[in-house]
Amino acid sequence: MSDSGSAPAAERPKARAAPEGSTAPARPAPPPRPMVPLPYLLDFFPLQEADQTGIARFFARLREGRLSTTRCSRDDLLHWPPRVACPKCHGTELTWVDLPERGRIYASSAVLAGAPLGMEADVPFAVGLVDLDGVPLRLFGRIVGRRWEALAIGLPVRVEGFELADGRVFYRFRAEPEPGPPGG
Amino acid sequence: MTLGRSVALVGGTTIPWGVRAATWAELAQEVGAALFRRVPSLRAEEVDSFFLGAAEPERFAFQSHVAPFAAEQMGLAPRRIIQRTELACASGQSAIRSAYAAIASGLADVAVAAGVEKMNLPSMPEANTSMACVLDRAWDGAHGGTAPPFFAMVAQRYLAEHHAPPEALTAVAEKNHAFANTNPHAQFYAKKFDRAKLDRLPLVSPPLRLGDCSSMTDGAAAVLLVAGELAGRYTDTPAWIRGSGQYSDFHNLAHAGSLTDWTGLTRAARAAYDMAGVGPEGIDVAEVHDCFSISEIVEYEALGFCGRGEGARYVLDGRSGRGGDVLVNPRGGLLGCGHPLGATGIAQAVEVFDQLAGRVPPERRASDPRWALVHNLSGSANVHSVMIYEGGTAG
Ligand SMILES: [Zn+2]
Repeated sequence: MSDSGSAPAAERPKARAAPEGSTAPARPAPPPRPMVPLPYLLDFFPLQEADQTGIARFFARLREGRLSTTRCSRDDLLHWPPRVACPKCHGTELTWVDLPERGRIYASSAVLAGAPLGMEADVPFAVGLVDLDGVPLRLFGRIVGRRWEALAIGLPVRVEGFELADGRVFYRFRAEPEPGPPGG
Repeated sequence: MTLGRSVALVGGTTIPWGVRAATWAELAQEVGAALFRRVPSLRAEEVDSFFLGAAEPERFAFQSHVAPFAAEQMGLAPRRIIQRTELACASGQSAIRSAYAAIASGLADVAVAAGVEKMNLPSMPEANTSMACVLDRAWDGAHGGTAPPFFAMVAQRYLAEHHAPPEALTAVAEKNHAFANTNPHAQFYAKKFDRAKLDRLPLVSPPLRLGDCSSMTDGAAAVLLVAGELAGRYTDTPAWIRGSGQYSDFHNLAHAGSLTDWTGLTRAARAAYDMAGVGPEGIDVAEVHDCFSISEIVEYEALGFCGRGEGARYVLDGRSGRGGDVLVNPRGGLLGCGHPLGATGIAQAVEVFDQLAGRVPPERRASDPRWALVHNLSGSANVHSVMIYEGGTAG
């Protein structure tokens, strides 16, 4: 079984210094942040720092092992992915809520060929749509823990956060290991 | 319902599709040359407007501002409207719809709608990355989500919900590949795929095998659209645009809802049928978006050719083949012709134009057709685009 979901194991490049002899006006140095291992426009994962996105809290919570999202209390609406404005009432006063960590597979398949750049080493890997328990949310993601052949509609999974090679975080689903051979 | 002036498709062409020893610019030059050969009475200065369907030239060819770039390659200098239309896999049909709207409104009289896509790169993983960013890149693509696993999930749910025989998937691929063997411009023109061979191809995203998936294709196509009163200048056998409908349902996969009931397509088709004053039972020939074999099966149902859950039986019983209810994908479909994203919708319109005039080889010719339908989906079947054409005479 491949431990899919792992990010490309590239070295973390150093932050680029200003070119020598630069005449640009002095500006405060940006806060240090993890650099992506691929050129930015070939990198899939969301930028996660507070100076890059309005939903940095999602990634901070994920780092603590909590999957969360925004909710609009006016519409009693859970968003996915987390947002800065409600698509229904267009209000911007949203609250953060934790999501259930358990769910069941609604549909699943696998990538056996044709993986994008940086994911070739993960092949074969399983993906699926998962209905989270008790909330009206069906999330797409990788499913690890079992071979793709042993996944099925209705199989329980739980969500987990994990760290990418460059220090960012992301999430995936994990299925219980396959039962061993009978009597074994 | 008529919208403004009537609009006629009066000529069109494809070029050889496949893994081409040609750059993006050269594909555009080839299709320009082919269009002027195909419509000998057309002079470049008559073309007042140009609409280019191109899905991802920035990623596949590292080129932006592609409408004027393509116009120059094709020898056109549009003076009224020039624009690119981008709607991923439906970019070509978007170009035709935009040209139609421009002519119907009176903003344009003579318009070329073209599609150009170069997809085969030295680095296929980079090309796959480009395909993955059609989805919500940061939240779906980042998991490794691309079209094959998504449509594989559609197939898994379809087979489970309807207890449908998996052979129906192969039957779609076999039918469309056989039609592609009549189309010299198809990517797989020279390749025979019978059922046994298709079943031996490797799995790409289970249950979909290689033969269930359309290819990465370099290709181009172009059509000429004019105000109705000008049609006779260019052809005796115009195809009249009678109906148009689109529906955009969602984008992130979390909001896909049922994977097997494409209500967005049902709505887009209803709008087009109502506008044209014809129903699914009146359609003689249809070019539908078989990006994957399962797509065509779900489309039979959402377009109203058969009832919900009957799509697998529909293809297995030959109702979408020659002599069936509706001749579906006679040009070879995306499965047989390949799928150069922006060019696909244009090539489907070329086929419809030739079908309505009885100008295709007899092995794929519809019998005395009057009404034709073209469907494209884009992305994860989250957007559907439908157009309806009627055959007829000029003037
Ligand atoms: Zn709201």
